[in-house]
Amino acid sequence: MIAGSLILSGRGSSARILNGVCLLLILAALLALMGADIEVYRVDPWQELSRIGRGLVQPAWHDLPGLAQALGQTIAFALLAVALAAPLGLLLAMAFRWLPVRLLCAAVRSVHELFWGLIFMQLYGLGATTGLLAILVPFTGVFAKVFAEIFEQQAAEPSRTLPPGTGGLKRHLYTLIPQSWPALVSYTRYRFECALRSSAILGFIGLPTLGFHLETAFRQGQYPEAGALLWAFLLLIAGIRLWLRPRLVPLYLLAACWLLPETVGFSNGGYLWRFISQDIWPAALLEGDWAALQAWYGDMFSEQVWPGLVQTLLLTQIALVLTGFVILLIYPFASRALAGPVLRWPGRFVLLVLRSTPEMVLAYVFLLLFGPSGLPAVLALALHNGGLIAFLVANGSDAEFKSPIRRPDDPTGLKRYAYIETPRRFPALLALLFYRWEVILRESAIMGILGIATLGFYIDSAFEEIRYDRAFLLILVTALLNMVVDSLSRRLRRLARTDRACRY
Amino acid sequence: MSDGKRGPALFSLSAQSLSYGRTRVLDSISLSIRRGERVALLGPSGAGKSTLLNLLYGQQAASTALQPQGGGIVDLLSVYQNIFIGALDRVGNLPALWNLLRPLPSHRRDITELTRRLGLEEQLWQSADRLSGGQRQRVAIGRALYRRQPIFLGDEPVSSVDPLQADALLKHLLAEHETAVVSLHNRQQALDHFDRILVLREGRICCDCAAAELSAAALDQFYQQDGTPEAGEPAPESDGWVIRTS
Amino acid sequence: MPILRRFLALGLLLPALAQAETFVFTAIPDEDESRLQERFGKVADYLGEQLGVEVQYIPVKSYAAAITAFRNNQVQLAWFGGLSGVQARRLVPGSEALAQGYEDQFFKTYFIAHQSAGVDASDTLSDALRGKTFTFGSKGSTSGRLMPEFYLRERFQAAPEDIFSRVGFSGDHSRTIAQVQSGAYQIGAVNFSVWESELEQGKVDPQKVSVIWTTPTYPDYQWTIRGDVDERFGEGFKDQVRQSLLEMKDPDLLASFPRQSFVPASNDDYGPIEDTARAIGLLDE
Repeated sequence: MIAGSLILSGRGSSARILNGVCLLLILAALLALMGADIEVYRVDPWQELSRIGRGLVQPAWHDLPGLAQALGQTIAFALLAVALAAPLGLLLAMAFRWLPVRLLCAAVRSVHELFWGLIFMQLYGLGATTGLLAILVPFTGVFAKVFAEIFEQQAAEPSRTLPPGTGGLKRHLYTLIPQSWPALVSYTRYRFECALRSSAILGFIGLPTLGFHLETAFRQGQYPEAGALLWAFLLLIAGIRLWLRPRLVPLYLLAACWLLPETVGFSNGGYLWRFISQDIWPAALLEGDWAALQAWYGDMFSEQVWPGLVQTLLLTQIALVLTGFVILLIYPFASRALAGPVLRWPGRFVLLVLRSTPEMVLAYVFLLLFGPSGLPAVLALALHNGGLIAFLVANGSDAEFKSPIRRPDDPTGLKRYAYIETPRRFPALLALLFYRWEVILRESAIMGILGIATLGFYIDSAFEEIRYDRAFLLILVTALLNMVVDSLSRRLRRLARTDRACRY
Repeated sequence: MSDGKRGPALFSLSAQSLSYGRTRVLDSISLSIRRGERVALLGPSGAGKSTLLNLLYGQQAASTALQPQGGGIVDLLSVYQNIFIGALDRVGNLPALWNLLRPLPSHRRDITELTRRLGLEEQLWQSADRLSGGQRQRVAIGRALYRRQPIFLGDEPVSSVDPLQADALLKHLLAEHETAVVSLHNRQQALDHFDRILVLREGRICCDCAAAELSAAALDQFYQQDGTPEAGEPAPESDGWVIRTS
Repeated sequence: MPILRRFLALGLLLPALAQAETFVFTAIPDEDESRLQERFGKVADYLGEQLGVEVQYIPVKSYAAAITAFRNNQVQLAWFGGLSGVQARRLVPGSEALAQGYEDQFFKTYFIAHQSAGVDASDTLSDALRGKTFTFGSKGSTSGRLMPEFYLRERFQAAPEDIFSRVGFSGDHSRTIAQVQSGAYQIGAVNFSVWESELEQGKVDPQKVSVIWTTPTYPDYQWTIRGDVDERFGEGFKDQVRQSLLEMKDPDLLASFPRQSFVPASNDDYGPIEDTARAIGLLDE
């Protein structure tokens, strides 16, 4: 909000506003750098790194049936979750004018899929229901928000010719949805790739997807197995366009139902009620002991919430700005106009690797290189998210490649990068970065191996210690923080007028 | 039809002004339009015609068929669905939903008939993005007609069709609506089909008279630039640039 | 009817059908978690033969997940660590420790150090540890977290965060060794049996990393069963399970845990663990 008033004073030129926003973000990151826990230790990583490298070069493909099953279940969860979340999100997007709907959506998407997974695991055990809901719930929130934004960007004219008093449903059915259909479909397709990643990651907490085996193999140093899993996942993501044919989707959905893991029998009569009426509240509250309750909250705030909040924000801010630099640095290598029709493929491959490798894996490699501190976390987050956004930015550049806006006398090489591509891409780039801000915030939370006590570290500890009261409070704080960042980024985006530029 | 001057006032503006930011688009407009009148709005682009039409629409939205510039065509829907939009207030939510899957028989009959008159029956099930500019405009006219309202407000409704067709379409539109206010850029069409002509210039009404009192030449004068009052200069030259052959 | 059940799982809020009595167990071994389904499937087959009911194994990723599944009766029998067993039995009144591994009667934790840390092996935790970087194993582990933290607090009268310049949780014993060996952390706490098996396999370079202190012994892994199994599977079922576990002699099956044999255990054996957990604030009250 302070940012807002500062920037508004320099009104007039869009470029100046954009620059102002960027400058502010960079300044904030520099400030964060002073407070953040970043240190480089002298390490001796080469033995371990060479084992990782050998594992990647010589992956062990000996358990092909197991691999196929894990891949199948990864796809099954992602496909079914998106197939349910997209229509639900569409319905909610139609009612997005309503504040309660907006708040609901913001709340559900502000909790990381992994945490949703941990929550639903308390209710539904380790089964298909847990996995589906863990993706479905936050994705519905994201779909609702983005679909509503897409609706907002449609031309108002068709709506104006509607008979006055035409209800919201009919208005959406006959104008907004058909008008925005290509955008809705393309966003859903992109989101499916995200769902594949989420589905894989859910294996980290025990669902039978790729992440289950990847985490085990990686954690226990079985790098050839880890290598095979990682390559399989890369191929899966790289080939989405080849294997995900619209006509085949119904077939895939049926197959996905078939592939879902069987839920091992447990009757869950009172678990939901026990969870919401007892587990998530501190004992002092249930006993009505107010003094103890106050002490409990006091301890939680001073020992976990506050320090966790500070570390999370500092890391997020640095990672955000670093992500921006990573994008600017690597997107040209994947763009047709800049790298050329052939040379862009190695660049595209690097981006694929960066966005498909779970941050945990990247963080571990950097931990080996630099020792335990915020640095590996920041690097892992920046590279992973930078790879993702750079991919979208490069796609934007390629989409323009054949359009009339391109002139034969445009400059080439570095000049083209500086004068044509980057200025054209920049608003979209910034918009994507703002969207990812929330994501980076959520992800910075899962860096316990680095000994950095972010909010997510404490949440993970609370689940590990079966202290759902603590987990609930911490998740609530994280969700609120996410909502604040979300609304702040929306303001900045409006200010920078990047709304129309892109939507991911 | 009826003698317009006797009907009650449907639209009335008194000293109405409107600005976007610092730009004044309408400058103290006073105007009254009665039931049964057919009004043509003329004036150079940027004179405020569209804004004035919007203002009028706000006064009688419930009984008006509106055709904005561009027509508000939804690209992915077929011609049939695009025209059906005009009837959305006459069907409930569920029939509207159903109609997207399978056209409702009665509407299908009516709209097929309508497209026959508009020369679009071949394109009835084509999506609108495959149509030419003239065809899209006829779809928009179809939607307005299918609104089945007594008032028609059109913003250059026939600008993309050839003159012969334009005459026929205008005739049809005027026959189907009791009252009409239509902006045009073709002055002859205004003289041929309307009984009252309003000329806007820089947000002001600079002429408001019965069509019978005006001629094409007289109208041309309103399009002359301020700085070039030379009488006798051929009209087309002031309209844009002309390639001269020396 | 697996298809039907799968579709019902899609009905989301529908609970899974309570199946015809299948006895379900879970286990997290302290090393080598690969091919769990295959290895423990054999254990399930063995138990099924012995008990005369359908026995199923489900793999889980963490002690917390195992406890949740046990609490919600998704599994009725679990191979828990010392601490997770205590937590699980607190949450499910009536549940009981049945048997422990032979090695678990006198389990211990090694503190290991990278040679560059300059900490030598000794009989006590050396003062030289102060200010170093340190990693535990997984947060819920007895040998990788609970006991080492207890002895650190006892020796230094301070929380680990105040003794070391940085405290991490590697998540796994093998990774603790890898991280200390690579110098990412200078000191680590590791389950002795994992250390010895990795040493044997040649994964440890003694030039780089060595044991600097060994904790006193404590009880660790054990089989815990829910109290209501007799009701569900018939009178005497619990004793039958205990018997089957104690009689498991096939080295192939035992290697999955890995333990040389199982010996009887009781809830009381884990009293010291519970007290320790309470002392360092991992359990309330």
